[in-house]
Amino acid sequence: MTPRDTFRFSLQLLLLWHGILAAAAAIGAYLAATQAFDLPNWAHTLLAILLGLSMAASAGAAWWLWRRDRRGRNLSLILNYLLFVALLLLWFQSFNFYLGINSLANTFGRGVPFLLLLLIGYVVGAQADRFEQKPARARFFTRAGKYIALIGALFFLYAVGILAGLQSFLARFSSLQALALTLLLALLALMLWLAWRPGVAQALSARNSDEEMLYGLLFLSPNLLGFLLFFAGPLLLSLYTSFTDWDAFGTRNWIGLANYGEIFGLTFANLQSPTQLAREVIDITRFDELARLNLFGKHILVGAEDKLFWTALRNTLLFVLLAVPLSVVPALLLANTLNAKIRGMSLFRAIYFVPTIAAVVGVALIWRWLYNSTVGWINYIIAAIIGWINGLAGAELLSDPAIGWLSDTRVALLAVVIIASWQWLGFNTVLFLAGLQGIPKSLYEAATVDGAGSLAKFLRVTVPLLAPTTFFVLTTTTIQAMQLFDQVFVLTTPPGGPGTSTTTIVLYLYQSGFREFRQGYASAIAWVLFLLIFGLTLVQFQRQRAGADA
Amino acid sequence: MKNVRFYLIFVVFAALILTGCTSPAPTSAPIATEAPAATAAPAATPESAPAAEGVTLRWRTRPDNQEEANVYQSISDNLNLDGVTLVYEPGGSETASYQDVLKTELASGTAPDVFWIPGTDVADFATRGLLYDLRSLADATAGYADSDFYPGPMFHLTFDPATSSAGPALWGLPRDVSTFALYLNLDLIAEAGADDPRELEANGEWTWEKFLEVAAAVNALGSDVRGYGGSAWWGPYGVWMNAAGGNFFNADRTACGLDTPEALAGLTFAQNLYTSGVAVPYGEDPEPPFRAGNVAMFQNGRWATPGIRTVEFDWDVVGLPTGPAGNPGNWLFWGAYVVNANTAHPEQAWQLVQALTTAQTQGQVAALGANIPSRVSQEALNAFLTFTPPANNQAFLDGLANSPTAEGPLWAGSWPEFVSVMDAAVSSLLSGQSSIDDFANTVCDEANKAF
Repeated sequence: MTPRDTFRFSLQLLLLWHGILAAAAAIGAYLAATQAFDLPNWAHTLLAILLGLSMAASAGAAWWLWRRDRRGRNLSLILNYLLFVALLLLWFQSFNFYLGINSLANTFGRGVPFLLLLLIGYVVGAQADRFEQKPARARFFTRAGKYIALIGALFFLYAVGILAGLQSFLARFSSLQALALTLLLALLALMLWLAWRPGVAQALSARNSDEEMLYGLLFLSPNLLGFLLFFAGPLLLSLYTSFTDWDAFGTRNWIGLANYGEIFGLTFANLQSPTQLAREVIDITRFDELARLNLFGKHILVGAEDKLFWTALRNTLLFVLLAVPLSVVPALLLANTLNAKIRGMSLFRAIYFVPTIAAVVGVALIWRWLYNSTVGWINYIIAAIIGWINGLAGAELLSDPAIGWLSDTRVALLAVVIIASWQWLGFNTVLFLAGLQGIPKSLYEAATVDGAGSLAKFLRVTVPLLAPTTFFVLTTTTIQAMQLFDQVFVLTTPPGGPGTSTTTIVLYLYQSGFREFRQGYASAIAWVLFLLIFGLTLVQFQRQRAGADA
Repeated sequence: MKNVRFYLIFVVFAALILTGCTSPAPTSAPIATEAPAATAAPAATPESAPAAEGVTLRWRTRPDNQEEANVYQSISDNLNLDGVTLVYEPGGSETASYQDVLKTELASGTAPDVFWIPGTDVADFATRGLLYDLRSLADATAGYADSDFYPGPMFHLTFDPATSSAGPALWGLPRDVSTFALYLNLDLIAEAGADDPRELEANGEWTWEKFLEVAAAVNALGSDVRGYGGSAWWGPYGVWMNAAGGNFFNADRTACGLDTPEALAGLTFAQNLYTSGVAVPYGEDPEPPFRAGNVAMFQNGRWATPGIRTVEFDWDVVGLPTGPAGNPGNWLFWGAYVVNANTAHPEQAWQLVQALTTAQTQGQVAALGANIPSRVSQEALNAFLTFTPPANNQAFLDGLANSPTAEGPLWAGSWPEFVSVMDAAVSSLLSGQSSIDDFANTVCDEANKAF
């Protein structure tokens, strides 16, 4: 066979493969569309779509390959690669690889000492570089290193249980399914190899741009596939779920916009008197009283289908309004202070960063003790200070407020704000510090020459030049604040209490989905929150752009 | 050297792949614990149960601490079910959201064969088809009787939502039970010169009025000292309603009962406790101040005992005070071992549920002091009395004997939705943010949506 014949044969094989693949995908898509498998409805739909796309792609690849068009090779490589990755994951599953990792975790420790031999082998082998002028000695070290590493590797594998693993691995080939999967995987690898060969690329007149695109996609694929599988996929699934009444266990019944209707369902009614009962003016089987308004002497009752959503929204926005400035403005001032070149400043920077890396749950539990109104340190210190002031005055000037940090509905959210601001302060400070490092010193020198004082330099030089950093800090902190959950969940008992004073949207979403078995409704809340955050971020972007243009 | 590096990576990767293919170990090594007093007897098997060959059952419960987890592991290791390999999985604590993990696993089909759930979750799980109905297996089991367990939990565990009656179904068996008591700081009560609640109870004088007297006397000791502390959830405030003759629901549990005069009377009493400053503010965790010696009477269940045993003052327990309805209004708390509806081995799972609820097994867990056996057995109760301190263990048993209201799921509605509305409204009431009239006028309008 001449090389030309070889490539022609490769192309014919690829053509045949894609013909078979297209036919198999078409049959699979038909079976999935007719719900022939033991799968839930949504999985049938998804499978039918994926197999339909595979069929189209495979038929397209076959058509172009037959026409000797380079696009056939590109499509063939992409399709075969995706199928190879999918089948490889299935193969791992079929051979118990994922569960087996647990076993490996248990036995890995036994092999660790032998890994030292591998390290020694590496070090010995590395000595060869010192004897470039003496090849014989260099070869000796290289070989010795290899053998030591090989012995170490063999002992390591034996210690972690390679024999049992190998036995188990081979035993699984007795299953027809596993055997078929392995053969298919090998076939896909062969097709990938065939299409990838430079000769085939030449035969199809592939261009450099095709190669660049394929390499680009190949290197992007781990991230891209991860994004599609673990982010975009669940995101779309949650969007679909938000239009259903799914409880996490049963079938997803399509209910259209009903969940969104319930979230935003409001009613307004005129009240005869400010104390008139809600049940007399609104349909209490559907609405709960949300608020009473007094508009120019006219009393209006606002009812909501989901009162708790609006309460959570109010709490979340209030939290954002308080926590964002409290964690951004002090961070800016602190960064300015920490930017000074004074001995030991690195230590202070590290200290301020500690709350950021501390575990939220641990931090919240400690704060819960600090906040205890009876035996907590915060109230103790407040009482001591008041006692000291009263002692100095010789009279009861001030009385101990005995603040119910976590039991008073008026204060509880503030308690959460304090913790969150304290935790976020360090990270924001580091970001501002990075921004400050980028401001040229010459600008401060010029300002000094112009007679500017410290405040003027801060306001006229630092603040404007830090605008991009400030924008980033504001945006990320706002998003973080809108998604508040951990601190409230750990700090308050029951979570969101007292009453509903610290119930945030994410907490409410969690309670709806996991406690009340309303995954569909929780998904709708998640999408409302997403749109809210998206809108706020968009406004910030526009303001930032407008500021930059000005 | 590049080749060596390549080999190194290849070897480690090959090890991961091949060794990873090994089947996971069925059980972990037994944890060294004190040998159990008695090995549980093999459970009776249904007459029709086939002999198990190479069956592995995963089971899970929620231990309160590592010590309890060790006991469950030991029980799992020592249970001898014919041909069944048991794998015990300690669930997370309450803060680790035991139920959330379980629900996620149930949804994805990876939940254990047998697991524990709180009593209030039984209806939600059963009506969604997540639990295996064990009735036919139980009927075929010689020696099994529903009446071996306390009737309150068994009412709900045998409730059939299709016929709205107790008896036709069997969703599981109760792991243990518990009631509330008041943990007493005897030093503080003596310092205040108040009557000893235990003596008042022995004399039949332990009423709401006397309770208030003791609490107020202690409260007068200082601004940071409180007479009473109760945690912020439905259990503690529920007893005041129960003791006044009220209830969360109407008689057949199909509508809200929070606005009845009796329920409101109980809540008014509770509200006065909080707004007058006698109690640790509602929403604050009362355990730290109690442990610090600043609270005289701390209302909690038997599960709090192991933690309280480490305090440095003189302490004991007393039953709850008698309310206007003539009883203390206690709860009977319980949780149950249930079988996953999708288990491949229901017969073996039923054997395991029985084995986990034998008197011997329950005795091993109860010996830690955190709960009370769920079997109606004088032998078990006698053994429980020896698990001291507290000296007055009888207070918990009196709670069981004195017509407690069984913690119950809501078969005609959604318990999580109901409790969400109720908790928020009661919290607002007890922290003084709303009046009892506001509460009465609105709470059931909102809570009835849960039915």
